[in-house]
Amino acid sequence: MTVLSVPTGGSWLLRSRLLRALWLEFKRSPVPYVLPPLALFFYYDAIRTANGYPPVWTLRATVVSHLVFSFSVAGGGLAAWAGAREGRRKTVDLLATTPRAAWSRLSVALAGTLGWLLLAFLAFTAVLYVQTAVQATSGGPPLWPVFVGVASVTMATVLGFTCGAVFPGRFTAPLVTLGLAVLFEIGFRESELVRASSAGRRPSVNHALPAPGGAPLQVTVFHDLSYGTYALLSPLRDPMGVDVGVYHRVAPDLSIVQVIFMGGVAVALFGVLGLAAGLREPGSAGRWLACLVAVVLVACGVAASGTGFALTGTAQPVRDVAGGWEIPALHSAASDQPVAVTPDCTSTPGFQVCVAPALSFDLRTVAAELDPVAAEIAGLPGAPVRAEEVATLLRGKTVMAGISGSPPVFKFSTDHVHTVDTLLDGATSLAGWRTGFPQGLLDAFLAGPSPAAGLNPAQQAVEDALLAAVGAQPVALLRPVPASAQEVAASAAAQRFEALPAGARHAWLTTHLAALRAGKITVAQLP
Amino acid sequence: MTAADVLKPAGFPGRPARLAGRLPAGIWLSWLHLRTRRVPAGIVALAVCGVLLRVVLHWKSSSDPLQFPLIVEAGAAAVIAVTTHGPFGEVERATGRRLPFLRLLAAVGMCGLAILALQLGVVGESLNDGILALARNVIGLAGLGLACSLVTGGLLAWVLPLGYMAFCQYALTEAWSAPWTWPTRPPADRGGWIAAMTVLAVALLAYTLRGPRIRPSDNA
Repeated sequence: MTVLSVPTGGSWLLRSRLLRALWLEFKRSPVPYVLPPLALFFYYDAIRTANGYPPVWTLRATVVSHLVFSFSVAGGGLAAWAGAREGRRKTVDLLATTPRAAWSRLSVALAGTLGWLLLAFLAFTAVLYVQTAVQATSGGPPLWPVFVGVASVTMATVLGFTCGAVFPGRFTAPLVTLGLAVLFEIGFRESELVRASSAGRRPSVNHALPAPGGAPLQVTVFHDLSYGTYALLSPLRDPMGVDVGVYHRVAPDLSIVQVIFMGGVAVALFGVLGLAAGLREPGSAGRWLACLVAVVLVACGVAASGTGFALTGTAQPVRDVAGGWEIPALHSAASDQPVAVTPDCTSTPGFQVCVAPALSFDLRTVAAELDPVAAEIAGLPGAPVRAEEVATLLRGKTVMAGISGSPPVFKFSTDHVHTVDTLLDGATSLAGWRTGFPQGLLDAFLAGPSPAAGLNPAQQAVEDALLAAVGAQPVALLRPVPASAQEVAASAAAQRFEALPAGARHAWLTTHLAALRAGKITVAQLP
Repeated sequence: MTAADVLKPAGFPGRPARLAGRLPAGIWLSWLHLRTRRVPAGIVALAVCGVLLRVVLHWKSSSDPLQFPLIVEAGAAAVIAVTTHGPFGEVERATGRRLPFLRLLAAVGMCGLAILALQLGVVGESLNDGILALARNVIGLAGLGLACSLVTGGLLAWVLPLGYMAFCQYALTEAWSAPWTWPTRPPADRGGWIAAMTVLAVALLAYTLRGPRIRPSDNA
């Protein structure tokens, strides 16, 4: 008598023989014992990382990849342990006498392990998304990162289970875990290299777009891309930018091919499991039919994963989404259209600050940083009357910052004042990210005709003085010591200029601003 | 015919009579102990770890020199932990007083072999922090594996070293420097060495005296 031949009874759920067997596997699975450490890891890694990010849906959704790593690696090892059970307990021959085929028996065990892992993965993801939903000011949860995570956990689990069933040794589970950890880590590092080359950590050419009525917008063109297909197939990746998905929808093309590839690998491995089980029990009923189905599954899985791999090789970067990729064969033009953004603005009189609704969680803070500096330069020629946040990418080029239009408007992106790495490295960087806004505004205001060249010493001294006057961190204090003689002179000039009454500073700037921007004022000429 | 009719009086399978005759009893006993723990296969697994470390360093040495070696070191420690499992369960513990010495010999020997295999694997490659960090990490992680075997049994003792490795990956990213996250500390750091050596010493002592957890039915 087996569990499948016991007369049915009890609740309707347990009346199904398959469900009863699955329930037994659920009860016997080793996964629940590993859930507490996984939860601890979830808190330390995923939750703390997510708390360090602004509550933007696309950004927070990248934290799901932290769960993907832990669940895939741990899931592979646990599945290998579960798959090796019959071999470990030396019950292979005993169970071969039962009427059910080995493949169906192993499938139930696999389903029990996979079910626990997916339940836990989805539960942890739900916690992450609920936390984001409470804090986010616009948008909705991206589902494709979850689908990719489910595919990755499934692939790793089936891989581990198949290895455990085929090689039921004591070293199988740890070696599977080790191998998966190395594979995922390599994929993550490769994807970082792709980010470095595609998202422009190393700009090669600087351009300045002419803009009427003020300093030009500064844009940067980046390297040609060089990447490996394996890197794009990796489900682990770092966030690309704060406003990814805010101004343009993120095309799901890459996620689709990742799901196709990993799903194909999982199906092929499931077929291998059936083939191995069928060949191991030659006397079982329906052996040849099972082997035939297994071969078909292997063929379908290999075809799917091969298709996914080939499609990934055709990926092209999307112009307006940092780190976005499009697959021509899958791409839908509607999937990466600009999002209609009606900015949220401060309602206070005077200097107005506007940001996208998805970033309005930080509107008051940014306004509080910009308002004092804007008041210092109010009324001066070219002084902005409004600050407006724009997308980081414009027609494939990175918008840094600038003042343009009439009346002048200070346009900035989330990336312009500090590199996005500063913000994304942890929660404590958020404060540093915000304090960069006054400096960004003054950079754009004081810069000459070539903003890419940076400020000259006199311009820098004036900027430091104005920053110090409003209580912000002067740039001179951020420089490493010892400073050069030129920097010491600029620092002294900044202190002199800061010591002037506000009215005197304003009057001097009214008179000399054009010459200062043109680079005709030296440090010694500052009052 | 009964079972007694088919039993052969000559020794155990796999024991060549001429070999047994030549070797001293102590060495023969040690060899049998190591074989029952699958130590020869474990040595092969350690060699695989060494090769894997070399391959990873050769191809990916520029991407992240700390994370990959830690993964492989944890894998080697997991192999050591798994070799603590014996197939005989409680029965073996009634056979004499030499078992603790054999456990100590096997554990220390496997630790040494793991360090040797990984060090051989990185010869000619650039291993960040060098052999000192490698040895310290293997020692500490192996201690965790031995400690885990006291609770879970040898077959599941790989869980703690690999779980701790995953945690240390995060600690490396966050640049933590507490002594108990010794893989994040510099190779010559005293606190990291004290933590790793303490873990190994305590775990080795407990493992030597008590042995891994076993169940009466040995159906782990």
